[in-house]
Amino acid sequence: MHYQTESWGTYLPPPPPPTTTVNDPLHGMERLASENAVVIFSLKGCCMCHAIKRLFCGMGVNPIVYELDQQPLGKEMEKALVRLLGTNSPVPVVFIGGKLIGGMDRVMASHINGTLVPLLKEAGALWL
Amino acid sequence: MASHRVGETGLSDSRPLHHHHHHHQHMPYSVFTDYNPPSTGFINQESSSFDFGELEEAIALQGYKIPNEENKLPLYSTVPRPAATLDMFPSWPMRVQQTPRVSNSSTDSGSAVNVAIASKPEAHSLVEPESPISSNSRETFSQQPQQQQIFRQQLQHLQIPEKLEMESEGGSPVTTGGSSHSQQAPKPFSEKTLRRLAQNREAARKSRLRKKAYLQQLESSRIRLTQLEQDLQRARSQGLFMVGGNGAGNLSSSAAMFDMEYSRWLEDDQRHMVELRKGLQSHLQDGDLRVIVDSVVAHYDELFRLKSVAAKSDVFHLFTGMWTTPAERCFLWMGGFRPSELIKMLAIQLDPLTEQQVVGIYSLQQLSQQAEEALTQGLDQLHQSLVDTIASGSVNDGFHHMTVALGKLTNLEVFVHQADNLRQQTLHQLHRILTVRQAATCFLVISEYFGRLRALSTFWASRPREAMMSDENLCQTTTDLQMVQSSQIHFSNYG
Repeated sequence: MHYQTESWGTYLPPPPPPTTTVNDPLHGMERLASENAVVIFSLKGCCMCHAIKRLFCGMGVNPIVYELDQQPLGKEMEKALVRLLGTNSPVPVVFIGGKLIGGMDRVMASHINGTLVPLLKEAGALWL
Repeated sequence: MASHRVGETGLSDSRPLHHHHHHHQHMPYSVFTDYNPPSTGFINQESSSFDFGELEEAIALQGYKIPNEENKLPLYSTVPRPAATLDMFPSWPMRVQQTPRVSNSSTDSGSAVNVAIASKPEAHSLVEPESPISSNSRETFSQQPQQQQIFRQQLQHLQIPEKLEMESEGGSPVTTGGSSHSQQAPKPFSEKTLRRLAQNREAARKSRLRKKAYLQQLESSRIRLTQLEQDLQRARSQGLFMVGGNGAGNLSSSAAMFDMEYSRWLEDDQRHMVELRKGLQSHLQDGDLRVIVDSVVAHYDELFRLKSVAAKSDVFHLFTGMWTTPAERCFLWMGGFRPSELIKMLAIQLDPLTEQQVVGIYSLQQLSQQAEEALTQGLDQLHQSLVDTIASGSVNDGFHHMTVALGKLTNLEVFVHQADNLRQQTLHQLHRILTVRQAATCFLVISEYFGRLRALSTFWASRPREAMMSDENLCQTTTDLQMVQSSQIHFSNYG
């Protein structure tokens, strides 16, 4: 069961409009995500975020974690994620190689069906 | 305050009753100047001549306390019957009659203060009435006939409050008494006062009616509850072990519903297994067998969907495994089976496997273990956070820390959901790795495995519990084990 990881994949069917403002929260997140191999957006005190962090660390990956409540546009990012993912718990959200993977559901599924490790290797987060 | 002083002298000392005859005029009968006569039923039982002594006696029997500010011993402290009976429902608005009257005394100079059997905090108002009351009392004292009737009514109310509540429904003696009262004593009571008094009586009567209705409701609910529990106990004892081994018997409605759905799911699972077994033994075409296997996978998806719905309304029921049997519950992980354990068991039972499949299964086991570990650590953090919240709540916080804790508890649902998600993904991956026939065997093995766990619970519950295990019993248990072992042979037949 593969799913798209191109741009925002299945979440946003139309490509992002070229006239995105610089202050667009999703754009801001994309920018942050492109800076590292594995980026996790989290909230302080979110226990599932802790779980996903431990999952990556357990695999030998070193993810960069951004706490949304400490980000300048954090609130807007959170709201944008809620709208995008259609769920009340927008975090955790994982980007690998600058591309959106999804929340815990997606990461778990990808992990079990064996597509996560190749993705990580491709992004340079794992060397084995 | 005259009345206050009177209150002191009247009730606070414990001299014998007969001494108080002197103090009749100063006794806080002012406290009883006007009163709600809830029923006239008792009037008939009384003699026509009224005796203050009777009233005192009644008060004595009642153990009625009028607290004064010095907190002296109540006069009738030796009375066996405590005033607590009057306060049977402390939260019940027994002070219904109090509040309007307190305002009465302050706003209406000519008004009297009604008195009811007050709940203790409100009793202060009894002695609080200002001089208007005492002046009223002196006035009303001069009108003996009316006063006699009033005292009579007060007396009967004091003596048998519960009986009065029942009698109060018979007819409307309240208003009768009130109206007759108003006819006989126009002078000290203004029209406004009378109206207010009548309203108070009505309110008191309604309150008593409500109280009775509430009590009846409670009683019937209690009876219904015990009946339900008996039914449940009976049903359980008839061997419905699949519907959870919950001894306490207090399932929420959504938990009970899930238990029902789960037992139905188990029945459907059995039917699927029969189909699978038939398909394997009759060497069905792969295509046809695949249809059956796919339906089994879909059936498991349905279980996880049911669980996710149930988690929304009763996460504890799922998480603590109250929907499973005791043996399953022992090895429970986050509200269900531990996927890596299942895979470990399957790796042995599903021999022979191709090398690629072995790698796939071993890798699946490892991946599952990693995911389980991550979820467990996340849950540990939730636990720690919850402990901190509950422990650090201060009095000033009020309910705040509880609200925060409640918010954190909702995360349990997320963890159960992710654990179920992991289980679902694992089963799907197994389906992908194995061939159709292997997958058919795999699901048969899984179903058999859980069936044996459930059976273990039943055997355990019915095992001989004597302190001295006789040889007979030992043999019996051995036979049980042999039974379990012999069915293992069946697995190889499927390959």
